[in-house]
Amino acid sequence: MTVIARRLAGHLARGIAMVLVVATISFFIIRNIPGDPIAARYQKLVEQGMSPEAAERATAVMYGFLPSGTLWEQYVDYMGGLFRFDLGVSVTNPGTPVTTVLGEAAKWTVLPVLTGTLLSFLLGVTMGVYAAIKRSGVLGDLLAISGSLLHGVPQYVLALLMGAIFTTLIPVLPPGGTADILFEPGFNAGYIGSLIEHATLPVVTYALAGYGGWILAMKSSVVTVLGDDFILAAELRGMKRSIIFRYIMRNAILPLFTILAISLGLLFGGAIFIEKIFNYPGLGFLLIESVTNRDYALMGGAFLIITVAIVVANILADLFYTVIDPRVRSGAEAAA
Amino acid sequence: MPATPSAIPGGKTASGERTAPGVRIGGLTVVYRTPAGELPAVSGVDLDLPPGTITGVVGESGSGKSTLALSLLNAVQPPGRISAGSVEIDGLGDVVALRGEDLRRARGRHVGYVFQAAQNSLNPLKTVGRQLLDLGRSHGVGDLRALVREAGDLLGRMGLDGARVLDSYQHELSGGMRQRVGIMFALVLNAHLVVLDEPTTALDMITQATILRIIREVHEERGLTTLVITHDLGVVAEVADRLAVMYGGRLVEQGPTRQVLGDPRHPYTRGLIQAIPRLVGDIGEARALPGRPPTLATIPARGCVFRERCPLRMDVCESEHPPAVAHGARLVSCHAVEAVTAGARKEQA
Ligand SMILES: Nc1ncnc2c1ncn2[C@@H]1O[C@H](COP(=O)(O)OP(=O)(O)OP(=O)(O)O)[C@@H](O)[C@H]1O
Ligand SMILES: [Mg+2]
Repeated sequence: MTVIARRLAGHLARGIAMVLVVATISFFIIRNIPGDPIAARYQKLVEQGMSPEAAERATAVMYGFLPSGTLWEQYVDYMGGLFRFDLGVSVTNPGTPVTTVLGEAAKWTVLPVLTGTLLSFLLGVTMGVYAAIKRSGVLGDLLAISGSLLHGVPQYVLALLMGAIFTTLIPVLPPGGTADILFEPGFNAGYIGSLIEHATLPVVTYALAGYGGWILAMKSSVVTVLGDDFILAAELRGMKRSIIFRYIMRNAILPLFTILAISLGLLFGGAIFIEKIFNYPGLGFLLIESVTNRDYALMGGAFLIITVAIVVANILADLFYTVIDPRVRSGAEAAA
Repeated sequence: MPATPSAIPGGKTASGERTAPGVRIGGLTVVYRTPAGELPAVSGVDLDLPPGTITGVVGESGSGKSTLALSLLNAVQPPGRISAGSVEIDGLGDVVALRGEDLRRARGRHVGYVFQAAQNSLNPLKTVGRQLLDLGRSHGVGDLRALVREAGDLLGRMGLDGARVLDSYQHELSGGMRQRVGIMFALVLNAHLVVLDEPTTALDMITQATILRIIREVHEERGLTTLVITHDLGVVAEVADRLAVMYGGRLVEQGPTRQVLGDPRHPYTRGLIQAIPRLVGDIGEARALPGRPPTLATIPARGCVFRERCPLRMDVCESEHPPAVAHGARLVSCHAVEAVTAGARKEQA
């Protein structure tokens, strides 16, 4: 228990440091944007007839710090806001706090990314095992080749291809959005069906994009474990095939969990192309929008949330490891 | 010694107690597929393990000892395969012909095997105890508690804290402890043929002596037939009743340990013994064998495998493989030795 707690504390410290660094960077980006939109905004508000104080406050609400303060004051202001979960206000959605916009978008990223990645993980790992066991046969070769091919295709090409096939060539799926506006959002069959229909293309694309990598990773992991002495030893002791199979699987899948957690974290940001192509209003989509609209507060917030996702994924991966790998567990004990 | 040659084929007495099985290896040839084609690592080996005896196989690295040992379980790993010969084990028949479940059940249950790399013979993600339970379930052991108790006893005899070891993961055990765990796994199912491939390599001299004593004790107590593979003549001198000397995939000399070590006939056996400082006493007298042992690619296909390093080399050694000839209780494969004995016989006549 204390081991895990200590490990967790270490991770949190490192994670918070990372978040602070990213926040600092986004502060400087916002503050030093060419054209100084902060001053420009302040100017504009005053021109529109606002009193200087009111204009200052309005600008501060938007960017998280006072336009007139010194660099240090502004930094403290901005970071202080961060701890109150105040990331400023989005320009593109006037009056809406960045956190609200991010929360709304996260909804559309988390579930599809999770579903797609887990799907590709399960499928890829299973096929990877076959590819390893049948590696000297035609089936194994075919699986490995399919893995290499899919792994080599860039995500956006895959997304465009899927879109072209399923929305134009065989138009069975909607080309974009989250749900048909015909349906009343809520817990009703029509709406949920439409949600699923719209999520299918992004999810399947995530799954396909990841699948090749999982096959290849699992295959090589299984092949490595198959060559380990303890597998031969188990065979020489007459262990049942099913038991040996479990030994192989558990040892082979272990290193893949780290990759899984990290790729989940990365996908929150990496979903950019897929979300853009399928017009799916998740975090990646938001990031692109914020960049095109020069919505700097939103951009900073999006970077921050992606950082947090990666940090959290790493922590989860490590904790998971600590739970399932006795070597890491006692290594942690020794270190503690 | 309680071991009587098994009266009932099948290696079981009427009471169901298993007894020491005899083993007859005949014409065994094992080849490995290499870029240069299939090359033999073991060639035409004939070796009997009489019931209840400990047989030692010695030879330099690469002479084919492990390959021979694996053949007893029909477990030669690809790219290797048994290309000819048979391994008859009482109660099992010819294991070379065994397949599938029959083969699996024979392993562990009838033939215990201590792996050469016994330090790495455990699943790193499970405790020793859990792997023991897996073993028990694999072989349909009804009373798993008794199995655990038995394992604890065996570990205790080898100087380990049984309960603690069973509760440990591989990485928590030292190399020597792992090796003893490997020996425990080979004995715990009460197999009556036990094959130990380099059982003491990872151990210091004192632990080695303890382990050898225990192997000997358990062997006698249970009435086992035991095969010990080693490159260390000291080890066989200590435990083995019979000794077979292997060179380049062939047995060059075999017989009762005392005879072979006390009065070696084959020039390779002599060379091996002379190369050991502590057996000849004075370090200055130890003479390393000149040359290097052959690899798969350099083992000559015709003639005597040892001739390149042989002080007694004759013309016939180039072309003809020397057959094994009986000298009393011993078998020797050497043209030169035959020439000398033939000469001696002529003089006597
Ligand atoms: N998988 C393999 N592929 C090709 N050749 C092999 C393979 N395994 C063993 N060999 C060769 O077979 C020969 C015998 O190997 P083996 O492992 O039986 O020797 P050994 O006497 O046990 O040696 P050591 O004392 O080093 O354990 C060696 O020349 C080795 O190179
Ligand atoms: Mg060996």
